Amino acid sequence: MDQARAKINDACRVAEEFTKLYYETVDRKRHLISRLYLDTGLLSWNGNGVTGNQNILKFMIDLPTTDHSITTLDAQPILDSAVNGQLSFIIQVSGSVRYQDKPLKTFQQNFVVTAQGDKWKIVSDCFRLQEPLNK
Amino acid sequence: MPKPNYGNRQSTWVKDEYRHDNRDRRVTFKFSHRQGSKKDNVRDWTTAIREHLQDEDVDMGISSTSGRVINNKKFNKKKKGGRKGSPVPVRKLLEGPTGWYRVIIPYGDKFEKTFIIKLLQGKLEPLALWPIAWQTQGTTVTFYVDEYKVAERIHSMDRQIQLPDGFKLLLKVHPGSPNVDMNATTKEKMKLAMAKRYNPNTKALDLTKFHADPDLQDCFCALFKPIVFITIIDIIEENIPELEALNLMDNKITLLSFLKKVSKKMPNLKILHMGNNKIREIQQLDAFEGLPIIDLVLDRNPLCDKFKDQQAYISEVRKRFPKCMKLDGIDLPPPISFDIAEDHQLPNPQQTFLCNAEGGTIVRQFLEQYFLIYDTDNRQPLLQAYHENATFSLTMAYPYGFGKDKNVSWLNWYATDNRNLLRVQDPDRRCKLLKQGHVAVVSFLQEMPKTKHDMHSFTVDLTIFTPQMLCLTVSGMFKELKSGHKFPPLRYFFRTLVIIPAGSGFCIANEVLHITNTTPTQAKDAFKTPPIVAPPPSPVSTGASPGPSTSMAPPAVALDDNMKQEMVNQMSIQSGMNMEWSLKCLQETEWDFQRASLVFQDLHTRGVVPPEAFVK
Repeated sequence: MDQARAKINDACRVAEEFTKLYYETVDRKRHLISRLYLDTGLLSWNGNGVTGNQNILKFMIDLPTTDHSITTLDAQPILDSAVNGQLSFIIQVSGSVRYQDKPLKTFQQNFVVTAQGDKWKIVSDCFRLQEPLNK
Repeated sequence: MPKPNYGNRQSTWVKDEYRHDNRDRRVTFKFSHRQGSKKDNVRDWTTAIREHLQDEDVDMGISSTSGRVINNKKFNKKKKGGRKGSPVPVRKLLEGPTGWYRVIIPYGDKFEKTFIIKLLQGKLEPLALWPIAWQTQGTTVTFYVDEYKVAERIHSMDRQIQLPDGFKLLLKVHPGSPNVDMNATTKEKMKLAMAKRYNPNTKALDLTKFHADPDLQDCFCALFKPIVFITIIDIIEENIPELEALNLMDNKITLLSFLKKVSKKMPNLKILHMGNNKIREIQQLDAFEGLPIIDLVLDRNPLCDKFKDQQAYISEVRKRFPKCMKLDGIDLPPPISFDIAEDHQLPNPQQTFLCNAEGGTIVRQFLEQYFLIYDTDNRQPLLQAYHENATFSLTMAYPYGFGKDKNVSWLNWYATDNRNLLRVQDPDRRCKLLKQGHVAVVSFLQEMPKTKHDMHSFTVDLTIFTPQMLCLTVSGMFKELKSGHKFPPLRYFFRTLVIIPAGSGFCIANEVLHITNTTPTQAKDAFKTPPIVAPPPSPVSTGASPGPSTSMAPPAVALDDNMKQEMVNQMSIQSGMNMEWSLKCLQETEWDFQRASLVFQDLHTRGVVPPEAFVK
């Protein structure tokens, strides 16, 4: 039981550190973003899928400049039976983002991160803007 | 002839001389006292009256006879040894900072307004008199003028004009302006005056010298009063947000910093003329930042004199209005920008992303069944949909720009269980807010407000699909039912699900739920079935080729036996049929619960369901 508790608190702590680093990288050091993903990492950006950290870097570089600000953060350790005991967390964020000088938009995003050696890497990243699909 | 008179004459002369001498001396010393005091008495009297009246003016409303006497005495004392022999001192009117002057006419109530105006106007020529906010209080008439020259002339006419009743017109002038009490009547008057000054063809509003508008003479609608300016901006926002050109010339405006969110209230304003006002610092214009201004006039404001050169002036203006192409009527060279600032477009959103085509069918099946049960009054059957060690947590927030105010449905219900880690710092609380185990999860789901989901609004992202697990993200709109709100609130959810195989079906291992309100633009599309049913989402997968059957028909294998049992139970409860017939009904409709219910209702109303179906 104590072990499970420790894992839950770990997930929360990692989520705090991770999101800080992630949004700082996206907003200010985007050329380094590929380092945060697994080589085979996957991004679904508003339903547009991108596979592989190099493709993700290319995709992200083409996005307008951003300024993210997060409103809520949540995290859970993924059940062992799902990941064969490989330490993995699920992190979910909501907040607002400004593209270039456009008005702020609300977004939600989740990450599955896993421990690879001494580094946390993103396995999957799903980003959605909260707006109608057909404008 | 002896000179009998000589001596006389002499004496006279001497006398005269003596007197003269004396007088000369007296002029310097004693005599001056007598003669001078006589004159001074007169002068003292006039200045005393003047000051007395001025005192009265200052003391207006609280002055009493004794007060006047005291003031008078005090004044005389102060005045002793003052200007002797100088002409009657006429105090010059001091120029006030606002450019507004209050004119007070004691006993002005005895005459008609038109008579006084005509009288003053006659004396003021060629200056024009625009008395603003004319008011009679008791015996005193008060009004305001907006020009120093006019105020100074009126000031100098004090007690100079003979009135028909024999008295002279008293005129007291000081720098000042009244307090403005903004009410619905005044606002309505301003609105009408603005409507008259608006040109819908050019989308231009001309508020030049607004306070002098003939229709606003009884109120003090000067733009240098923040409340007046704010009201004007509000009227624009409420009635003509499409405004493109605004002329604010000649309004004695000094401050703008009290204006808020102007760029949101008139987002299309391109032309702004503010010449001949009293704006001292360029920083005041920060209030207008964000407006797409291309033509700006600021000349004849004190701020213009603060710039050493034109270039610095242009640069300060461009800092606030980068698109400004015309300043004070002069075309500016186009701004030089950097190539890097090109407009990046965001990729178009897609409703569905599936990293694996096969996964698509499973996901669709799973979600349909899940929300079918979720939207009923009894969510207990969902117990089968969760792993026994499943964990669940909830966060909530209002969407940006639509925070908790009277126009939105509050998310209070979700606040208690909001596990926002940015707020919840205590490790115990973080653990407690994470629901652990399927019983805890489902009993919380049961507590949550009843819902009706709009499946057509759903977005689905399948980002992990391995034999061990799926990671699925679902978002969409739902109506919250029976939760005590006046109207069923329209909410938006974003759910992350980690799903693992269990038996012949699947169950949820982790669920992270975020609840928020829909934005008004989202709400427009809520619960509107698209006229053409969208084709099944085309998978964007790279590897695995889709199986031979990509049809919508759900493969029965994806259904958990337990879940089937739950559906049978539900059907039995809903229809009143026994288990056997409920099962039959569901089997025949390929486990589509909604279709099964419809088929049952149809047959039941036609009376063709055999009675044994209801025997339990």
